[in-house]
Amino acid sequence: MQLQGRFVDLRPLRPDDAELTYRWRTSARARLLNDGASTVAQQEAWIRNRPASELNFIICRKDAVAVGMLSLVGIDKVNRHAETGRFLIGDEDGVRGLPAAVEAMKLLYGIAFDTLGLVRIYGTIASENRRMIKWQRYLGMREEGRMRRHYFIDGSFQDAMMLGLLVEEYRAEALPRMNALIGMATGAQA
Amino acid sequence: MTKEEALRIVIGAVEQLNDELDAPIEVGPHTKLFGADAVIDSLSLVSVIVDVEMEVSDAMGKPISLTDDQAMNQTVSPFTDPDALADYIVTLAD
Repeated sequence: MQLQGRFVDLRPLRPDDAELTYRWRTSARARLLNDGASTVAQQEAWIRNRPASELNFIICRKDAVAVGMLSLVGIDKVNRHAETGRFLIGDEDGVRGLPAAVEAMKLLYGIAFDTLGLVRIYGTIASENRRMIKWQRYLGMREEGRMRRHYFIDGSFQDAMMLGLLVEEYRAEALPRMNALIGMATGAQA
Repeated sequence: MTKEEALRIVIGAVEQLNDELDAPIEVGPHTKLFGADAVIDSLSLVSVIVDVEMEVSDAMGKPISLTDDQAMNQTVSPFTDPDALADYIVTLAD
């Protein structure tokens, strides 16, 4: 499955992305994410072993340069929900001035709600990851709970914020805001 | 709200980004926030929008939105730089 946007595309994560994604996952900006593979070989094995209930993507600029990753995991077609995760802009310099993150998220939400017909997506974020919490709330996610001391990151425990978005909230709130941000960038480029 | 008050709020929100960015950015009235020369990405821009909306709403005593149709229809994007955003915020107080 490949998805095309105005500024970025989503393409499936491949085993040959192991070195690049390992580098992103071990960078300073990923310090607030869960621990990942310890070597490139482990990362490649992890990519090869992704189950059918997951959609894992690389975010690419229109010139095909990979700039980040994100996933829809735990896709449950019976209960019609899934978890968003592994969202990381690995190349911040490469997306300055571009609505790469917002358009990538819009493409992912489109798969979840429009293609798969899900009614709910959800996720957890480390409580110290304030920029990501603000981001998800701005795009419509509601706080649904908090798991205390759920993550051990950088030598200390952090709570996990539990966030969720229903399909009607996506259509009424998230989609207009995402379109506004993308439209603003389109105007800036014109 | 005066232009100076609005500019202080916007610059404060952009400066807060430096706590979370790998490479700190220099912040001033003409720091490019969006467009081809922008120094931040959309993830960081949203962080600025959220912080500014919250503080301006508190200061004005009414909820304001920086990404509604009115903002999108401005001839000059309010998100060009802190100075432009402060100008736009002042118009919301009218």
